Amino acid sequence: MEKITITIDGKTVEAIKDQPVLMAAKENGIDIPALCHHPELENSGGSCRVCLVEAIQGGRSRIVTSCNYPVRKGLEIRTDTEQVRNIRKGVIELLLCRVPDSEVIQNLAAKYGIKEPRFFTDEGESDRNKCIACSLCTQVCEDVVGVSAISMQNRGRDKAPGTPYHKDSSVCIGCGACAYACPTNAISMKDEKGVRKIWGKKFKMVACSVCGKPYIPEAQVNWIVRTTGKERSFFDKCPDHR
Amino acid sequence: MKAITSFEQLEGYREKIKASQKKDLPSVLICFGTGCQANGAVAVADAFQEEIVKKGLKVGVNIGLKTTGCHGYCENGPLVVLRPKDVLYLKVKPKDVPEIVEKSLQNDTIVERLIYKDVNTKETIAAYHEIPFYKYQKRIALRNIGNVDPKSIDDYILSDGYKGLAKALTMKPDDIIAEVEKSGLRGRGGGGFPAGTKWRSCRAVDSDVRYVMCNGDEGDPGAFMDRSIMEGDPHSVIEGMIIGGYAVGAKQGYIYVRDEYPLAVKNLQAALADARAFGFLGKSVLGTGFDFDIKISRGGGAFVCGESSALMRSLEGKVGEPRAKYIRSVEKGLYDKPSVLNNVETWGNIPVIMQNGAEWYASFGTKGSKGTKVFSLVGKVNNTGLVEVPMGITVRELVEKIGGGILGGKKFKAVQTGGPSGGCIPEAESDLPVDFDSLTAAGSMMGSGGIIVMDENTCMVDVAKYFIGFLVEESCGKCTPCRDGLPRMHKILSDITEGNGKEGDIATLEELCDVLTYAALCGLGSSAANPVHSTIRYFREEYEAHIRDKKCPAGVCKSLITYSIDASKCTGCTLCSKKCPQGCITGERKQAHVIDKSKCIKCGVCKDVCNFDAVRIE
Ligand SMILES: Cc1cc2nc3c(=O)[nH]c(=O)nc-3n(C[C@H](O)[C@H](O)[C@H](O)COP(=O)(O)O)c2cc1C
Ligand code: SF4
Ligand code: SF4
Ligand code: SF4
Ligand code: SF4
Ligand code: FES
Ligand code: FES
Repeated sequence: MEKITITIDGKTVEAIKDQPVLMAAKENGIDIPALCHHPELENSGGSCRVCLVEAIQGGRSRIVTSCNYPVRKGLEIRTDTEQVRNIRKGVIELLLCRVPDSEVIQNLAAKYGIKEPRFFTDEGESDRNKCIACSLCTQVCEDVVGVSAISMQNRGRDKAPGTPYHKDSSVCIGCGACAYACPTNAISMKDEKGVRKIWGKKFKMVACSVCGKPYIPEAQVNWIVRTTGKERSFFDKCPDHR
Repeated sequence: MKAITSFEQLEGYREKIKASQKKDLPSVLICFGTGCQANGAVAVADAFQEEIVKKGLKVGVNIGLKTTGCHGYCENGPLVVLRPKDVLYLKVKPKDVPEIVEKSLQNDTIVERLIYKDVNTKETIAAYHEIPFYKYQKRIALRNIGNVDPKSIDDYILSDGYKGLAKALTMKPDDIIAEVEKSGLRGRGGGGFPAGTKWRSCRAVDSDVRYVMCNGDEGDPGAFMDRSIMEGDPHSVIEGMIIGGYAVGAKQGYIYVRDEYPLAVKNLQAALADARAFGFLGKSVLGTGFDFDIKISRGGGAFVCGESSALMRSLEGKVGEPRAKYIRSVEKGLYDKPSVLNNVETWGNIPVIMQNGAEWYASFGTKGSKGTKVFSLVGKVNNTGLVEVPMGITVRELVEKIGGGILGGKKFKAVQTGGPSGGCIPEAESDLPVDFDSLTAAGSMMGSGGIIVMDENTCMVDVAKYFIGFLVEESCGKCTPCRDGLPRMHKILSDITEGNGKEGDIATLEELCDVLTYAALCGLGSSAANPVHSTIRYFREEYEAHIRDKKCPAGVCKSLITYSIDASKCTGCTLCSKKCPQGCITGERKQAHVIDKSKCIKCGVCKDVCNFDAVRIE
C-alpha cells in the first residue's frame, strides 16, 4: 500500500494510492454525501452521483464521483465549490422527485436547502417505493452472499431490483443482507412469529436454544452448512449466546 | 483456394486476376444495399439476367454484371450504374431493363427518363460523377462501395485490397502507429479521439493479451454510414482491424454489429471466411508468423450498447450498460485486458492510410480534423443520403451544393448534427466549417455524422422535445441525472409546447442541462443537454414566444396555433371543405369559407390542399 499526499479542500492529507477519494476524505474527517458506495463491494458506486467533487489533476479540472475516483499523486480535490454544491443539489433534488417518501433523501435534501422539489414526483409508483436504483442490494446478494437471487431489471425510470419474473425467488435464502445494504431502506423485510417475509417470500426462522428468539432463516442455515461445511449445531444458539 | 503465404504471392495473384479481366467491358452494376433491395433491386437484377440470356449475351465475355453495396442515394433506388460509361440510372424498374440493355449496352444511347433531373435547374445529367450529389464528394472511407461486389474478395483485391496490410506487415508496429498518428485520423464514432494515440496507449500497457474491437452498433436514428460500409465493403474493415491488431499486439478482434443489420452480418461473415481461406486471417497471416482472427458479435439492441464500456460488457455476455469506473479501456477493457475500440469508419480508413501514406491522408481536411467524414444528410433537402466530404466543408455547402437546397423552395432554418444528443446550428452560422472542434464550439457535435436539415416550418422547442424524448427512452437508468433528470426536462419542454410554459422555465432547463452535463455517468447523459442547450442558445426568442405569448412562431405546436381562412385570398373553390375530416369548414361556392375553430383538430389538411394559400396558421 503506497502512501501519497493529496490535497482536499486546501488541506494536505495522506492517502493510499488508488483508494477512492471518498474513503481518503472520510479518513481525514471530510464529509462527502454518498449513497451507493460500499467499501466491501468492488463494483459499487457511480450510480447515485451525490458524491461529486471537483478533481484537478495535471492542470485539468473535472467533476467526478469521489466514491470511485482513484487517489493519485498530485491530485487536488475540492468538495465544496459553488459548482459542486449546485450540481450535487440538482442531483439530490432529482432523487427527491424519484423517492419523495424516503426519509434518507428528505434529510439530505433538507441539508442542501431543498424544501419542495420543483419537478413532478414519482409518488405512488409503488413497486419501487423508496428505491433509488443504486444496485447495492443486487451486488451484496451476488458478491457477498453469493446467491444472486435478485437482479436489476428494466431500463430508465423503471429500473429497480427484483426477483426473476417478479415471482418468488427459488434461490433467495432470506438472509436480509440486501435490506441491510439498502441506503434508503427500500426493501421490506418483516420478522413476525418466527417467520421472515422478504421479496414476497416467507422463511421459517430458527430459534436460539437459549433465549428462544427466532434469529436466522432455516434456508440461510442450510445454505451456510452446504457452502462452508460449518456444523449445523453451531446455529442452535444466536450470536449473543454462543 | 490455397492460402497466400507471402507478399509476392499476393501481388502475383492480383496480377493474375487483373489479367483475366476483360478491359472496357460494358458492365451493369446494380446496387444491392439495404435501401435498394427494399425498393426492388432483386427483381431488377433478375430482369437483367433474363434479358442478357434473351439477347444471347454472356456475362464476363461481352457484358459485365455485378451487384454492389449502397451508393448512399437510396431514396432514388434501385440504382443502376453503367461502366465504363459512368451512367447512373435512378428508380429502375424491371420493365426498364430491356430498354437499358438495348439502348445503353448494345448501343451507345441514354434512357433519358431514368437519369438524374435537377429540381432547381431542371437540367438532366447522365454522368454519375457529374450529378451534384456525387460531384462534391471525396470518397475515401467509401472508396470501394458501389464499385466492388462485397461478396467477392477478388473484387476487393482488384481494387488494391490487402495492399495496406502487406505493407504494414513489413513495418515495425511502432512505425505503423506513428503513421496513423501522423495521418491525424480521429475516431469516427463520435468522440473524435486520435486513433494513433489510442493504439499507442494500448500497446504501452504490459500484457500478454490485447484485443481490438470494431463498433458497428450504429444506434443514431437515421444514420447508416457504418451499415453501408459493413455491407458494401466488409474487407476494408477487416483489413483495417488486422493492421490494428498487428500494431497494438492483439491476436483477437471482435466486430460488434447492431442486431438490426442482418445483411451487414451476412456480408461480414462471408468476407471473414474468404479472408481466412486466403490467409489474411488465422495462423501466420500472409506467412509472417502473426496470428490474428476476428469474431462477429450481434448487438444488445439498446442505443447505449454503442457506448464503449457498455459494448465491452455486452461482448462479455453481460448486461450492456456503461461501467462506472475511471479506468481507460486501453488499460483494462474487454475482459479487463488492454483493448482498442474503434468505429467502423475509423477502421475502414486504415488500409488506405497505410497504402497511400499519412501525408496523403492529412492533405484532406482541416488543421485539427484530417481526412474526410461520411455524413448522413437527411431532412428537408432535395438530395438526401450518405455523402463523404473533406472535413472543413461548410454546413451551407452541404445543404446547398450536395443537398441541392431546401425542399419546396422553403427557407433554411437550421441543421441538427451529431445524432440524438447533438445540437442545432442556425442558418446564420452555416458558413461554419464542419469538423470536430468547430461543431463542439458551436454547441453541437460531430457524433457519428448525422445531419438533419430543417426548414422554416420547424419549431425548435419541438425539436428539443423530440430528441429528449428519444433519450428518455434510451436511458439505461443506472445514474440519477439521466434517469430522473431527462423525464423532468421532457415534461418542461412538453409543457412549453402545450402552452403551459412558465416564466423561469428556460433558467430551470439550463440548470438541468448542467446537472446532466457534469453529473451523468456516461456519454449518453453527459451530452443529452446539447439539444436543449443549443436551441436555447440560438433560438431563445422562440422559447420565449411559446412561454410568454403562447405562440409557436413556426406554426407547429398544435396547442398554440389556430387555423383560419383569409377571406381576401379564398376563392370559394370548396376544396378544403370537402377534404376537412371534421367537416368544420363552411361557405358557399365562390364565397370566402370559414373554419369553425371549436371543431378544428388542426390536422393541416386544409392548408395542404388550398391552391390559393388562403389558409393561415396563427
Ligand atoms: C450513448 C453512446 C452511444 C454510442 N454509440 C456508438 C455507435 O453506435 N458507434 C460507434 O462507433 N460509437 C458509438 N459511441 C462512441 C463509443 O463510445 C466510442 O467512443 C467509439 O466507438 C470509439 O471509436 P472511435 O474512436 O473510432 O470513434 C457511442 C457513445 C455513447 C456515449
Ligand atoms: S435476502 Fe435473498 S435477495 Fe436478499 S441478499 Fe439474501 S439471498 Fe439475496
Ligand atoms: S432497493 Fe435499495 S439497495 Fe436495492 S437498488 Fe434500490 S435503493 Fe439500491
Ligand atoms: S448517463 Fe444515462 S445511459 Fe449513461 S449510465 Fe447514466 S442512466 Fe445510463
Ligand atoms: S386543420 Fe384540419 S380540421 Fe382544421 S379546418 Fe383544416 S382540415 Fe379541418
Ligand atoms: S456514492 Fe458515489 S455515485 Fe453514489
Ligand atoms: S441501397 Fe442503393 S443507394 Fe443505398
